[in-house]
This record gives sequence, C-alpha cells and structure tokens, in this order.
Amino acid sequence: MKNYFKRLIFGPIDLIKGLIVTFRNLITPAITLQYPTQKQAMTQRYRGLIDLYPVKCIMCSQCVKICPTNCLALTHKEGPDKKKELESFKYKMELCCFCGLCAQVCPTAALYMNKIYEIATSNRKELEINLLNPDKYAEWAHPTVR
Amino acid sequence: MKMSNMHSEQLCVNMGPQHPSTHGVLYLDLRLDGEEVVDCITHIGYLHRSMEKIAENRTYTQFIPFTDRLDYVASMNNNLAYVLAVEKLLNLDVPERAKYIRVIVAELNRIASHLLAIGTFAQDLGAFATPLFYCFREREKVIEIFDEVCGNRLTYNYMRIGGVQFDLPEGIDRRIKDFIKYMRPKINDYEGLLTNNPIFLERTKNIGILSKETAINYSITGPNLRASGVQWDLRKDEPYLVYDKFEFAIPTGKNGDMWDRYRVRMDELSQSLKIIEQAIAGIPEAQATVKAGRMIKPAAGEVYFRAESPRGELGFYIVSDGSVNPYRLKIRAPSFSNLAVLRELVKGVKVADVVGILGSLDILMGEIDR
Amino acid sequence: MVTLSSLIVMVLVVSAVLGFISASAMFLIWWERKVSAHIQTRFGPMRVGWHGVLQPIADAIKLLCKEDIVPVGVDKWVWWLAPFFVTVPAVMAFVAIPFGKNLIVQDLNLGILYIIAITSTGIFGIFMAGWGSNNKYSLLGGMRSAAQIISYEIPLLISIITVLLFSGSLSMQKIVTAQAKYWFILNPSLFVAFFVYIISATAEVNRAPFDLPEAESELVAGFHTEYSGMKFAMFFIAEYTNMFTISAIAATLFLGGWRGPLLPGPVWFLIKTYTIIFVLMWVRWTFPRVRVDQLMGFAWKVLTPISLVNLIIAGWFILK
Repeated sequence: MKNYFKRLIFGPIDLIKGLIVTFRNLITPAITLQYPTQKQAMTQRYRGLIDLYPVKCIMCSQCVKICPTNCLALTHKEGPDKKKELESFKYKMELCCFCGLCAQVCPTAALYMNKIYEIATSNRKELEINLLNPDKYAEWAHPTVR
Repeated sequence: MKMSNMHSEQLCVNMGPQHPSTHGVLYLDLRLDGEEVVDCITHIGYLHRSMEKIAENRTYTQFIPFTDRLDYVASMNNNLAYVLAVEKLLNLDVPERAKYIRVIVAELNRIASHLLAIGTFAQDLGAFATPLFYCFREREKVIEIFDEVCGNRLTYNYMRIGGVQFDLPEGIDRRIKDFIKYMRPKINDYEGLLTNNPIFLERTKNIGILSKETAINYSITGPNLRASGVQWDLRKDEPYLVYDKFEFAIPTGKNGDMWDRYRVRMDELSQSLKIIEQAIAGIPEAQATVKAGRMIKPAAGEVYFRAESPRGELGFYIVSDGSVNPYRLKIRAPSFSNLAVLRELVKGVKVADVVGILGSLDILMGEIDR
Repeated sequence: MVTLSSLIVMVLVVSAVLGFISASAMFLIWWERKVSAHIQTRFGPMRVGWHGVLQPIADAIKLLCKEDIVPVGVDKWVWWLAPFFVTVPAVMAFVAIPFGKNLIVQDLNLGILYIIAITSTGIFGIFMAGWGSNNKYSLLGGMRSAAQIISYEIPLLISIITVLLFSGSLSMQKIVTAQAKYWFILNPSLFVAFFVYIISATAEVNRAPFDLPEAESELVAGFHTEYSGMKFAMFFIAEYTNMFTISAIAATLFLGGWRGPLLPGPVWFLIKTYTIIFVLMWVRWTFPRVRVDQLMGFAWKVLTPISLVNLIIAGWFILK
C-alpha cells in the first residue's frame, strides 16, 4: 500500500524527467544530412572502389592472391622489348567486400582504393570493371575528401 | 450451442523471420494461450553463410574480413578475437602500441554495440524510435572515428596478425577525447529517459529472470551473465592485451531480470569510456603496423582463444596442419548460447515480453548462424 | 419535412465539417511527423513543399493509387466494413464540438454524452478489423483494444461527471459558459479530473503509451496489419480525427473552450486543442509502451479509484 502511493507520487516525476530530455532534443537543431544535396566528406582512408595506376603495376599478382573473394584477375604478356606488360586487369565489383587487403599488400601502391561510394547500378555488366580503362569510373559520382 | 462443443486451443504465432523486432532473421514459433506464452521454439539458420567452412579454404589473413561479418555491430572485437587466436597459435608478440590501439578501438566498438543494444531494447519495449535515434546519434560519432581510423564504417577489417592495419591517424586522440567528453552527459540523458521511468520499470523489473544457475548451465556469457550476479569478465579474469594495466570495474546485477541486463550495459558504457581514457593517456610512441599478406604458416597444432566481445565470450578454436589454411576453425559465438536460454525465460510471460526479453538478451543473428 | 434550403444548409455544413476534418488530419499527420523527427533530432519530411507540408497530400495520392489488396481468407463483409465503422463515428463526433460562440453544428443538450457514446462505437470497427483480417496479429490487436476501451471508459466517464457537477449541464456550449469566471482546470478537483481524462482518453484512441492494439514491436501493425491503400488511410484519418476530438473535448471541458481574451473564439479553441495534441505527441515519442495486463491494472487500480475519490471530494465541495 505504501509502495502504491510512493509510486503514485514519484512516478510522474520520473515521467517528467523523460519528457524534459525529449523536449531538450526537440529544440536542438536536427543533425541529419539531407542526403542527395548534402553529402558527408569522405575520410582520407576511406575504402571505396579499387583503382589502379597501370604504370606502377609490376604484375606481382599479390593482390590477386590475397583477395579473399577472388574478385581480381590479371594477365600479362611479353611486350616488344621482352618486358612483362599488363594485358588485362579485371575487377568484379559484385564480389568485392571492400576489405582493402589488396591495396595494403601492393608493393608499389599501384592498386589503391578511391572514394567512390555511390555504386548502385541497374546493369550487372557494369559491375565487371576493366581496371586498365582510364575512364572506367567517369560516370560515377566522385565525392569530396575531407 | 452446447458448452461441450466449445473448446479453446492454443494459438500458434509464427513470429518471424520477417517481423519488426526479431533482430535479424530469427523465427520464433510461439504457442499462445490468449496473451500468455506457453512455449517458444527458436528456429535459426536463415543467415547461414558457412563461415567455418569458408575459413578452411582461406589463408589466415584472408579470413579477417570474414570475421567482420560475424557480429557486424562489433566488428573490431571479432577481428581482435580472431587475430589474437592466430597470434596465440603462432606465439607471436605484438608491439606495445598496437596493443593499446587494439584496446582503444575494441572499447569504442563495445560502446557502439551497447548503444545499439540499449536503443533496440527500448524500441522493443515500445519507446518508438526515440531512444534508438539518440543511441544512433552517439554511435555515429564512434563510427566516424572508425571511418577516420580504418576507412570503413561497419566492416572494419582493421586488425592484422601481428598488429593493426594502420597507425592511428593524426589528431584522432583529440577526437576520441572529445567523444568521451560528449558521451558522458548523453549517458545521463538515457538515464533520464529510461532508467527510472515507471513504465520502463514496470516492463522490465522482475521479468525474464535469468537465475545464476540457469545462466551458468546454459553457458551464458557477457553482460547477460553479469546481470545474473556472476562476476565474470575475461578482460579481468583472463586478461589479454593490456587490460591488466587499466582500472575498471565489472558491473554486475542482482536479479538477472531485464532491467539488470539493461543496467549492466549502461554501466559498461561508462567503464569502457574509463578504459579508453586511460589507454589514450598511456599509449606509447612506437611502430604499430605490420605488413599483411606475408604467407602465414603456423606449425601444426591447435589453439583456443576467447575474448570478451560486447555480447560475451567470443572464442576461436583453430586447428592447423602446418599449411597456409586452417585445417578447422570453430567459432564459439556468445549470442548462440544467449539465444538458447530464451525458451526458459519466456514461458508464462506475455507476448509483449517475448520481444522485450529477446531485446534484453541482445542477440545478433549474424553471429548465431555464422 | 426537409425543405430545399435546409438541405442546402445541411450539405454546406457537412462539407465544411468534412473539409475541416481532412485538412486537420493532414495537418496533424505532417505535424506529428515533424514533432517526432525533431524529438529524434531528424528533419522529417523536407522534400514536398516548404518543409514537407504537402507530404500528407503526396501520401494520400499514393494510398489512393495503390492496389486494393484483399487477402485470402478474410471475412469479407466484416473486413470491408471495418474502416467505415472506425471513420464514421470519428466524423460524427464533430456535430457537438463547439468551435466558437455560434460555431457549432448542433448544440445538443446531451452534447458530451453524445460525443462519448458515439466515439466509443469506434471500437466496433477496430474489433471487426482484427477479427475479419484472418491474421493472428490482427486478432490479438482487436482483442486487446476491446478490453482496453471497456476498461478506460469508466475513469473517462467519471472524470467527465466531475466536470458536469460543476457545469450543471451536458450541453457543450453551456459547459463553456459555465467557465466564464475561471477555467475548470484551475479548480483542484477538476485539475485531477483533467489528468485522469487525458490519460484515459489517450488509451481510448489507442495512442502511445497505450497503443497496444497496434503495438509495432510485437504485433507488427496490430488490427490494421492486413489493410493497405485507402482502407489503411481511413484508419489513419480516423486515428487523427479521434485525437482531435479528445483534445477538443479536453479544451472545452477543462480549458474554457473558445473563451479567451483578444483573439476570436475559434482561434482560441484551436490553439488550446492543438496544444493538447502537441502534448499527446510529445508523450507518444517519449515513453515505452505498457503491457496489456499492466494497462488493465492501471485502469482499475489507479485511474478508477483516483477518479472516484476525486468525484466524491468534488461532490462534497459542491454540497457544502
């Protein structure tokens, strides 16, 4: 019985405490971003799509070996001056898990991850990317970096 | 109509796999007598990705990104437990700075994970979205720090065997300190919003009581075990990394009801903040990174290592046959045993409490189904 | 006999009331979304019109264009009629709500009794929806709402009787006139009655923290789980109209109705009503939901005794 009255009196006080918390938040400005018009700047280390500097690549295939999902494939041929030359470098984006192991393992930093994150597409073929094509990401939105 | 023709029967409700509050794809087969739960059968496996089999075909380094996807709200802790297990297998020592960095990110992730647990718990009790959004707002700060540290927001893949991927970036300690300063008053906000709220108390006190004995019998770990009054925290009892250098308390509950589980998580938030504060102050200047991708070939043998993840004891059992791939890898996921006890807890409670108890156990299907 | 002129007047009044109801419901839907968003430090609707004011219209168009899905195994008649059974009483209550000195459709001499009686028939619709949907969640929601409304009717009515002791009339306009000297809420015993009324009225219209029939986290969407398109919209409009009605009654019975200095009567009335609605929204987005047995316990063990004791004290004061 005593407990009943105690709760009857102190209960509302604790309810009001909660109301005060929500009211304080009601009058503080909203913190969300209006996404398509406002975009968050990407961080320096952000791991977006895999990108390649073909000149730097020494065809060591370390990235292909380390990839846990086998999303990279490269072939090379013998060039005119008997040097190894990149023939193809395929990147299957749909398999990629953006773990960044390939970029970390690359000895010459030829492979890196750019900041592109809006990667939805309605065509599955677009997800298989030829990394040797310099304009491969021209149609994708390029975000700003913090 | 004759009375003898009338009969009542139990109502079978299939809660899930698509349901607003089953925390992923969990399917509960509920037998109801009116509003009261008579039985509850848990069906799992909707998120099965055969992680353990995948591990047998990956090298030790390659499996790190997969551990992100176990308990996807506490990826850092999963990474950590796995790399520590491999390091134990290799008998590898880690640079001191890397140890500190690991502690900092693991504790930050514990905060993020507990925030999510508290938010969804309140949501399950019907405080529609408001506490959840507050928790997400704070969790976002942690995620932004992680974004800065390792370049991703959910699946971090930050730990490496022998260290961490990158050293902490410039000025991040300032940001973490700011976060601690920002976080402390926010905890008071949650307290005001939930802790003593009479409706919240009514809904959580003395409901879903998990006794000490049952908890131990079901091998419940983590905050759920501590809420039942067992002082068991691997960070204190089997210290790994540099946890033995820090001062922190292990919050425990008394009754093991829903409120105690909530309380323990709230207290762990401030304890984690305390650990981070000490780690930031004591972090040594040294090399922390290692080169990944070096072929790791441990000697044949087996190892079991467990670490305290936000949900409990996360263990990795690795058998090596001397090759580059593990011969067998078994994951002991805390949520799995935490979910198993659900059937004991929900017998005789109302439908609404099933959701609440599930929320208070803080399970995560990614970890259960693996 | 109905003459042509009275028929025209009737049509005009009905369309005015219906226009006000839909405008008010749309405004309330937008407002609720805004209030909830800002409480949760979000923006809420921002795209359609200035700060998303046209969002409810966009929603209405979307709901109108939706395919009308009839699930297999529904009890067809019951299922079809349920939304109307919910919406019609909500609209009918507007007959006796005094918006201003002369701005009332019909000043019934049993006004308040009429409103309470007519709004509580809305429960039929909810229960029909729950029963007819052939869905277990809906059934549980319907059963809950039946139990809930029966329990909360009692403290609600007792708190209104307390007001009637002071006003001496059931007519809504006379209750407002009785508050010429002071608002009834300033009377200590009516102050208690006000809170009892607000709490039980919140339960009557199934709003949080008493929104058990549609408890999102356990019953998916409760009684309207199976409804989509315009039928769902009718439930939605009925909910917001009911909320307006209970707030309007609270404003009339306790806050002096359309009385107030300077501003014209209808403005005062709307200000008071929307303030109460804001409080209801604020409460909704703050508290957790109570459980079904606690809901009953609260009605029978807390609200009913309080309102009864309050009624006795009020009666004693009046007799003295």
